Amino acid sequence: MELQDIFYNKVEYVETASGNKVSRQTVLCGSQNIVLSGKVIVQSDAIIRGDLANVRAGRHCIISKRAVIRPPFKKFSKGVAFFPLHMGDHVFVGENSVVNAAVVGSYVYIGKNCVIGRRCVLKDCCVIEDNTVLPPETVVPSFTRYASSPGVCIGELPECTQDLMLEFTRSYYQHFLPAK
Amino acid sequence: MSHILQSDVVRYACTCGSLKPLSRIYFCRHCLKIRCGYCVSHEVDSHYCANCLENLPSAEARLKKQRCASCFDCPSCLHTLSTKASTVVVPSSDEKTVTRKLYYLACGFCRWTSRDIGYPDQTVASGGWPEKENPHASRIYNLLEHFKTLALREKQEREKKKKFIPRRNIYHLSGLSAAMARKRAGLPSIGPSSLKDDVGGPAELIPSAATEEVEQLPEEIFTDTLNLLKVTTLKQRLAQPEFQPQTVDELYPAHKCLLIKRSQRCRSCEHNVSKPEYNPGSIKFKIQLSAHYHVPEIRIVTCEPLRAGEKSEMIIKICNPTQYQSSLQFSPLPSPEEEAEELSKEIEERKQKVDRKDEKTNREDVLLLLPSICRQVSITEDPRPVNVALTGDISLPPVTLVLPPRDDAAEYDDSGDTHNFQDDPKIVVWRKANKAAMKLVITPEEDISEGRDVIVGFVMHYTYINTMATQLLEQREPQKVNLKVKLYITVGKVVGK
Amino acid sequence: MPLYEGIGLGTEKQPVVIDIGTAYTKFGFAGETGPRCIISTEVMCQESGRIKKIFSYSNEEELYSLLVEFIHNLYFRHLLVSPKDRRVVIVESLLCPSVFRDTLAKVLFRHFEVSSVLFVPSHLVALCTLGVSTALVLDVGYQEAVLIPVYEGVPVLHAWQAQPLASQAVESNLRRRLAGPEEGELSPHSRISESTIEDIKVRTCFVTSFERAHKITAGQPDPPPPSVSYQADGSSTVDVPGSARETAYEILFEQDGDEMSVSTMVLDAILKCPVDMRKELAENILLMGGTTMATGFKARLMSELKYLVTTPKYAKHLAIKVFKVHKPPAKENYVAWLGGSIFGGTDVIVTRSLSKEAYLKENRIPDWANLMYNCREDDNKSANL
Repeated sequence: MELQDIFYNKVEYVETASGNKVSRQTVLCGSQNIVLSGKVIVQSDAIIRGDLANVRAGRHCIISKRAVIRPPFKKFSKGVAFFPLHMGDHVFVGENSVVNAAVVGSYVYIGKNCVIGRRCVLKDCCVIEDNTVLPPETVVPSFTRYASSPGVCIGELPECTQDLMLEFTRSYYQHFLPAK
Repeated sequence: MSHILQSDVVRYACTCGSLKPLSRIYFCRHCLKIRCGYCVSHEVDSHYCANCLENLPSAEARLKKQRCASCFDCPSCLHTLSTKASTVVVPSSDEKTVTRKLYYLACGFCRWTSRDIGYPDQTVASGGWPEKENPHASRIYNLLEHFKTLALREKQEREKKKKFIPRRNIYHLSGLSAAMARKRAGLPSIGPSSLKDDVGGPAELIPSAATEEVEQLPEEIFTDTLNLLKVTTLKQRLAQPEFQPQTVDELYPAHKCLLIKRSQRCRSCEHNVSKPEYNPGSIKFKIQLSAHYHVPEIRIVTCEPLRAGEKSEMIIKICNPTQYQSSLQFSPLPSPEEEAEELSKEIEERKQKVDRKDEKTNREDVLLLLPSICRQVSITEDPRPVNVALTGDISLPPVTLVLPPRDDAAEYDDSGDTHNFQDDPKIVVWRKANKAAMKLVITPEEDISEGRDVIVGFVMHYTYINTMATQLLEQREPQKVNLKVKLYITVGKVVGK
Repeated sequence: MPLYEGIGLGTEKQPVVIDIGTAYTKFGFAGETGPRCIISTEVMCQESGRIKKIFSYSNEEELYSLLVEFIHNLYFRHLLVSPKDRRVVIVESLLCPSVFRDTLAKVLFRHFEVSSVLFVPSHLVALCTLGVSTALVLDVGYQEAVLIPVYEGVPVLHAWQAQPLASQAVESNLRRRLAGPEEGELSPHSRISESTIEDIKVRTCFVTSFERAHKITAGQPDPPPPSVSYQADGSSTVDVPGSARETAYEILFEQDGDEMSVSTMVLDAILKCPVDMRKELAENILLMGGTTMATGFKARLMSELKYLVTTPKYAKHLAIKVFKVHKPPAKENYVAWLGGSIFGGTDVIVTRSLSKEAYLKENRIPDWANLMYNCREDDNKSANL
């Protein structure tokens, strides 16, 4: 099914030179540490905690409403250290999800209401279904589909997932238009 | 994610008769046919651990029983265990206190630790954990050996019966043959007959002794309250089939099961249709012949609400994924008689192919070898007719739609199309690069009830340029072929009048 | 050839042993001490997301596609080997419906292209785990309890016994008892899922002793064991009363209208055998199947047998006083699989299995119920004349 146009209030969103569309109602802590590579959509009420550590998002990422992107921490004998969070290109983060992962690869789809535990590693081309809870330090290999809590592998993805995610995020960006 | 994959809206009919969405089918470039996961043969390519993403060669995987050597599964929630360290101050021999690290396994989800079952903490980070042995292992190996020797005996006796050739020569009668001499001297005989004696009797096997004593019902079961937290669930028990502990404190962590990378192969032409890379972390493919890259894709853009017996308009978007221009035509589905004819033609073709292969590889001695050495002729299943009940009619415009090739650079170039196609604006409503949108009219059946899906089908003919290397060598020019594929679209549900 | 026998990982690939039961499937490699996995015999339908049991098929085509999906999962998710050109040993019940056998063989040969298939009867190969050649094998699984005596390596088919007294009956009995005395009302317990009932049965229920069972049927029960409150899915609790815990398994032992129960099956089978076999069979009983793993099952069965032999129905014909039970070197729910594994680890598999060429020529698998394979040589000749 082809995506329908999603209209947003032109006043609400800021469009940068590299094509990032960021809503003004988001909480972007430490915005100097947040790098959005280009054509990234950050929808309203999202929270990105750049104050804890560096956050980098690849091209054509989509961070939906009320999502939380928070870098993970590791306890050392001498205290706590926060690790930078790198997201790859063409990642979709669904509404209300909390992402604490250490690494999110490219072409990843994260559903709604997910909780990605601390220091998880999500490899390229994987799908986390809605309402999944991934316990800390889970590794999600490529081309797998994880669901339920605790997250277990419930299926596999077809080989052309990379292209499907690419087209999906690209067309989402193209259909995300200001209301006239 | 299902709305991305859209598994049940637009489905393509594969040559084997099953309906699959475009993302799940392959296109074999040698037979120029569509293959799906059902009619393709799958093979295991490589093994890797889901947690440490470490590749294991197949022989090693078999030795380790297809489990990772270093990763463990939590026995109570079946999540992966992680190694945690705790520092301990230990007085060493020369009166100084040394801080050493002791490692234990812990689950992040259910908080199970290796200390729950009494495992002592290890001094090495990995590889020090005790393995649990099946208590019956030695008995079973005894039984195995016993039956192996029995079976071998049976085989040899059978062979002996077959090969009994009475050798009559004068030496035998006069007692001068070497075998007789050896027998008289008392030396052990050598030669073919000695093999029988060498095997010896079956290994000493103590048959199982039956007893009248059986495990009795414990008396406490009538008086003690049952603490469900201490009793294992069936799922936990079945995760360790050889032990199946009944109480939680006997649940030992099991090694994590490996995952595999699969490669697919077309059954009729034996060429690979999809082959992933060896590295578990890589998403690239050595061979990737997904239909997504070769067959035009059809997607529904919008559709007016459907009412029984009334016409509704539907706009579909067609995309040409190849590097060459393609022209498309649409025609209605073949009638049942034509379909039956096509099916029987398919079956005939396959039979001929098999006969040709049979002639080439029909050698008696090869067939007697171990099956793992010689490659067998693959007999495939007969294709089945597609059984989908169509519940609507579709009006297909008789136009030929020409789609330009896919151009990745056009995404960045917004200067507009330079192609000028003469399109009927009432049918082709939109164009951009290699995509076009077309309008079609759907008429659901008269007597369809409310809430049921409307399914329509049609055949799409498209031209495909075959760019295989062998073709180029022979003919010096890429060959243009006309291919067709059957499509079934589930348009939507019928709403009331 | 004998030199290579010991090296399992050398030239020949290890055969795969599969035991498909109504509720659970056990599978692994031949020559190993235990199955790799025990999983439920069901398939998740990709589109609808619903789980479908394989044995609830309505026609042959549906069974074919269910089996294809199931075996595909087995090989690529759990066993992690290619099915192609590898031998398969299928451990089956002698009373398996022919359509299932034929479809399974068709799936294995045509779809997965295995090199050969060997069907072995479960009651017979279970003896391989013991090393004896005579036993009375009782298999209590999910759908039914099947008893077939085996004497000197030959199953005594005419003495077979089969009753639908197995886990399925126990679970429906438990469900009724949990619903309480008010029948006809839609109690919340009717909505408990099957897997929850199974879990309750495995964790809380047990087989009570012979004396207590008699007191219960006489109407003067002893004080019941304490009840348990079971948490289902973290949200709702099910109260399992003590009486339900004790009496759920009674359905296997209480004699129904025909005076049949699991214990009478044993005695009826012995009665049907010739007199000279009876003592040996009674002293070599083998219990297998998941239901026999319930706490107190074996003790109850022995006491029932001892009691029933003294009742007038059997005392007239049977002179047996002693019953002995074997202890197999495995948990009861995979004893048949282990037998198949031992059998498949020998050379017999090369000589006796049905190869792919032979199957494709005849398009049929040998079946004991098919007289083409079951007649004596001279009968065949006279028929041909």
